[in-house]
Amino acid sequence: MLIFAISDKGGTGRSVTSTNIVYRHALQGNDVCYLDFDFGSPTAGAIFSVGSVARGTTRKGLHDYLLGEGAPEPHRVDVWTESDREGLRTKPPGAGRLVLLPGNEGGGELPAVEEETLRRCVQLFSRLDEEFDLVMVDVSAGRSFTAEMVLQATVRLPSVPFRWLVFHRWTRQHIIAADGLVTGADGLLDAGTRFGHDRNALRDRIRFVRTAVLEPDAAELVGLRDEQRAWLFACDTELRELASRHKVGRTSMLGKIPLDPILQWREQLISDEDVLASKIANAETAAAFDDLAKKIVDDAAWEGL
Amino acid sequence: MLVMGEVHTGLLQNSGEIPESTCRDVLQLLSGERVRVSRRPIVYAVSPDLLTGVDCRLPSASQSRIRGAGTVLSRSSITGGRVVQGSSFTRIERSGSDRRQPWSHYLARPGVVEVLGKVKSRDLADGFAEDPPADGLDLGAISARFLDVVQSSPLLDRRAPFKIARTRLRWVAEEGEPAIRFTLHSEQMRTVRLVHTGEFTPAVADLCEDLALHDWLLTALLVIIERARIGGTPGPEAAVKLAPAVDHLLHLWMPSARVDDVLSAYWESLDRRPGFTRQWQSLVDRVRDQLAVHTLAFLREKSGGGAR
Repeated sequence: MLIFAISDKGGTGRSVTSTNIVYRHALQGNDVCYLDFDFGSPTAGAIFSVGSVARGTTRKGLHDYLLGEGAPEPHRVDVWTESDREGLRTKPPGAGRLVLLPGNEGGGELPAVEEETLRRCVQLFSRLDEEFDLVMVDVSAGRSFTAEMVLQATVRLPSVPFRWLVFHRWTRQHIIAADGLVTGADGLLDAGTRFGHDRNALRDRIRFVRTAVLEPDAAELVGLRDEQRAWLFACDTELRELASRHKVGRTSMLGKIPLDPILQWREQLISDEDVLASKIANAETAAAFDDLAKKIVDDAAWEGL
Repeated sequence: MLVMGEVHTGLLQNSGEIPESTCRDVLQLLSGERVRVSRRPIVYAVSPDLLTGVDCRLPSASQSRIRGAGTVLSRSSITGGRVVQGSSFTRIERSGSDRRQPWSHYLARPGVVEVLGKVKSRDLADGFAEDPPADGLDLGAISARFLDVVQSSPLLDRRAPFKIARTRLRWVAEEGEPAIRFTLHSEQMRTVRLVHTGEFTPAVADLCEDLALHDWLLTALLVIIERARIGGTPGPEAAVKLAPAVDHLLHLWMPSARVDDVLSAYWESLDRRPGFTRQWQSLVDRVRDQLAVHTLAFLREKSGGGAR
């Protein structure tokens, strides 16, 4: 299965959330790989703590591969052996493969979608689908040629299942923008339909993920004044109404990730050790990733709206 | 001088095995040419040989810039309606002249790449075991494409019973005192260095394809057993995870089935050490024993706790 991760704006936590989902999915015993298609700023290497490709690879990365620059196969990084983080460097018993395909250091966005580039993209998806249970593709933020390319590629791979995750923060602007990215002019649905997808079928394959969510009843808010808490509660109610008006509401939401200080200060994988031993991460955050990692392949969570 | 090749092997992207007639249709890459099929001891279908023209740098352990021009011979095959291979090889020969010839010259020698200039056979062979340089001869890329053509056939449903990586086996054959060395590199990469008496025949390529096929079977079975985590998960769960091996792999082991009698000694030597068949047999026994143990446990449970 192919999963495309996209967000309306930058800074939504798309990359850190999608990498954590992939990591949890591997821990659940599946073979997974992560494709850094955010060619403008390939940072997945840093999140997986693989120093050698922290800002993309200097070898043949995805960017070179897609543009046909002398790379029959893009560079692969086995996270379980190449991560600099000791806790990640041993594959836990029962875990599946965890492979990163980094972008190029200094690659830059795709200038256009050429037929040859598209053909290579289709070939890559097809080969990876043969090998991995889950292929997560970080498509970067907003409308881009990269998003158009993967929309076209999936038209050419009718029997390979795919799904889209749209990441957004829980604020007024982000809710409106996330809806716009999907249903707005030249959004995912418009572009997808133009390339040959069925609009309704495509709609059913898109779900929203809320990031950095602060629940009004969260433990962190105990110290707040009553006035502040009442204000937060009112805001949250308003956002819920806004979200459901924009069809970004609960029914089309796959999950939400609570606000966690560790993710605000450093984009990284949250391991069980971070939760249980060093206690720098919240258990709710790890649980939310774990839950999402199950839901992305659970058909019940993806039934028609 | 020497022959180099690369075989890629993978699981056919279809829910079940495909019948002989579908194998024929899937492999009909070149219209007008026939797909060859043999039925005993296992159904094996192979596409017509296709040529790819190359004019590029050749591998070299000493990093010398050696240029070669000619054609590479490739084919796709399906074994048991379940395992697919893309295979390419080419004979490297010294060119009669120092000048690049027109394509008609090379097309008259299918499957031969002529080296322009000086070259040492050993340097080429040693260089070939390493990853090809970006502008160098990459037989693996050609073989992968021949495998892709099969996997993307509209006749396949793409719902393979399990996910599994392709393996690649890079081989070099030279003339001399008979010997064979099989080396496992990374999870997917293998090399074979083979020395044969007398002239090279395509039977050597058949042998390497047969080795690649069986190495892939062994690798796939090991992966399935690892995923089942025998002893680490409840019995029924492990049994479910082992089932694809029984359904799709265990009956495919036919070492040396298509290998010329003259070359079967090579298979026998690899079967003595490292002992492919020995390892396969022990894994097969393990899978069957697990299923038997699970069945017994299930029966005991059904009869209400058994020895109460």
